[in-house]
Amino acid sequence: MSTETESGTSEVQTDDEIDDAFRFIRINKRARQVFSLFALVVFGWLFTLALDQVGFSVAEILEYWPDFEDALGQFFPPGELFGLPFVDVGAYWSFIQERNLIMQVETNGAGFMFWDWTVIPGQMFITLSMGFAGLVLGLPGALILGVLGSERVTPYPFNFIFRGTMSVIRAIPALVWALIYIPLGGVTPFTATLAIGTDTMGNLGRLFTDALEEVEDGPIEAIGSTGANGPQRVIFGMLSQVASPFIAWTMYILEINTRIAVTMGLIGGGGLGYVLQTQRSLFKYTNMMATILVIFVLVISVEIVSQRVRSYIRGTEESQGIIALIVEFPQRMVRSLWQ
Amino acid sequence: MIEVSNLSKSYGDIQAVDDVSFTIPDGEFVVVLGESGAGKSTLLRCLNGLTEPTEGSISINDESVLGPRDDVAMVFQQHYLIEEMSAYNNALTGSLGRTNLFDSLTGRYEIEDKHEALRSLRTVGLLDEAGQSVGQMSGGQQQRVGIARALVQQPNLLLADEPVASLDPASAERVMGYVRQAADERGLSTLASLHQVNIAREFGERFIGMKDGEIIFDGYRDDLTVDVIDEIYGTIETDAIRSEAEA
Repeated sequence: MSTETESGTSEVQTDDEIDDAFRFIRINKRARQVFSLFALVVFGWLFTLALDQVGFSVAEILEYWPDFEDALGQFFPPGELFGLPFVDVGAYWSFIQERNLIMQVETNGAGFMFWDWTVIPGQMFITLSMGFAGLVLGLPGALILGVLGSERVTPYPFNFIFRGTMSVIRAIPALVWALIYIPLGGVTPFTATLAIGTDTMGNLGRLFTDALEEVEDGPIEAIGSTGANGPQRVIFGMLSQVASPFIAWTMYILEINTRIAVTMGLIGGGGLGYVLQTQRSLFKYTNMMATILVIFVLVISVEIVSQRVRSYIRGTEESQGIIALIVEFPQRMVRSLWQ
Repeated sequence: MIEVSNLSKSYGDIQAVDDVSFTIPDGEFVVVLGESGAGKSTLLRCLNGLTEPTEGSISINDESVLGPRDDVAMVFQQHYLIEEMSAYNNALTGSLGRTNLFDSLTGRYEIEDKHEALRSLRTVGLLDEAGQSVGQMSGGQQQRVGIARALVQQPNLLLADEPVASLDPASAERVMGYVRQAADERGLSTLASLHQVNIAREFGERFIGMKDGEIIFDGYRDDLTVDVIDEIYGTIETDAIRSEAEA
């Protein structure tokens, strides 16, 4: 009898426990629902405020839609390709040729022998040169600041002198650096290159510092145990461990610099961006689209080369497919505008 | 001749090495035995100048050890090589102590050092793999490159801190074979700390047994009886050796 009573009591207790647990779960769930609703309301309110700040108006979109449709017609001028309706590629090509966006080859009227040819690099090469020269100019500074900014090389808190310098450089976007350099010679490809070089010091230097923070202690100690001096310990023990990531990061910054070089043109820094800006002010939408296509080809080419190099260096890195590179192009372009 | 007198090292309250004294004549191959935490690694690090002793002194050929020096070479348990570099370039870093910064940066090492790097790689059986990146090598091969680097230092004393602890038995035996062979060829005084008693007995000449930071045994192979091992390691290790001997 007593056993039955005991087991009966214990069953009742178990049910109570389950009820309590269930109630606890329900209260938690309700609390989460209330909090989610509150977060949603706050989020919606902030979004409305933001739209109000930028003067967003659906009515305006509707009002100007016909104009936009007209512009679209000029962005993509109708034509024919093999008898089928297609974009008028010839209109793009004639502008690309006329303004020498890619390159021009002159044969000097002496037949097809290639040594008689003169190649005139086009606007694309000005943009590419800005990105590349900016990278090379900024690289020594990035190396010095990046290495000295690491706590493994310069003891805390002195490393913050160098980290701080890089933070200040990064806090100012490359476009603003170009404006700062205006007294050196106006907004030209030269000052744009200086701006990109400065930007490279901050960004690449920071990436170098981060890579150095992750090096292993063992090889540094092993190099020290051979009787090597301080600089040799830094170079052979630390830097040699991060040679591959350094090259990979440098290639990545070349990609970013090429995109920044395009935006430099928009404020008058020359190259493809400048052509784009000029055609925009003339409302020549077909020419704008032709320029955008060349920008697309340039940036994608640099990215493909950079990715190949990085994937070769890392060996095991999964390389991004060409289709993914092309599909994600707009968002990368937008991102570089903000950087 | 290596002389260690009254060497002690403590980390806070922990006495890692406690009043240790011994001498190693030129060319002797000494194995330090002991459990984990017995003070083997600390002793080796003091000998290499990587760790500063709390008390006592170490001298090599009558010169005091005050910090890392190029005539004391160390083989580490985890090899600690630069994985991005080739076996040859890793071995060459052994000559950094006698190469100035500019020459080492531009790769202008002395021709004798370059030859020494290749000779050392041949000693450990890796001459054909000299150009191979260390990151692509097996654990045993990497450890052999670590030995080559130590040999390039042309040391008076070779230290090996658990050099085969992270290797499989076959690789461990091969690697220890190379250490012993290199020491014999070059007449090197060697001090190797080892965990595996069977490997220690196979390659050691003289044995130093440590427990709780103190030396509790110092003698030659014949003196290293099961009872001594029992005292150094406790019964578990000794039982394993007994059953191995019976088998």
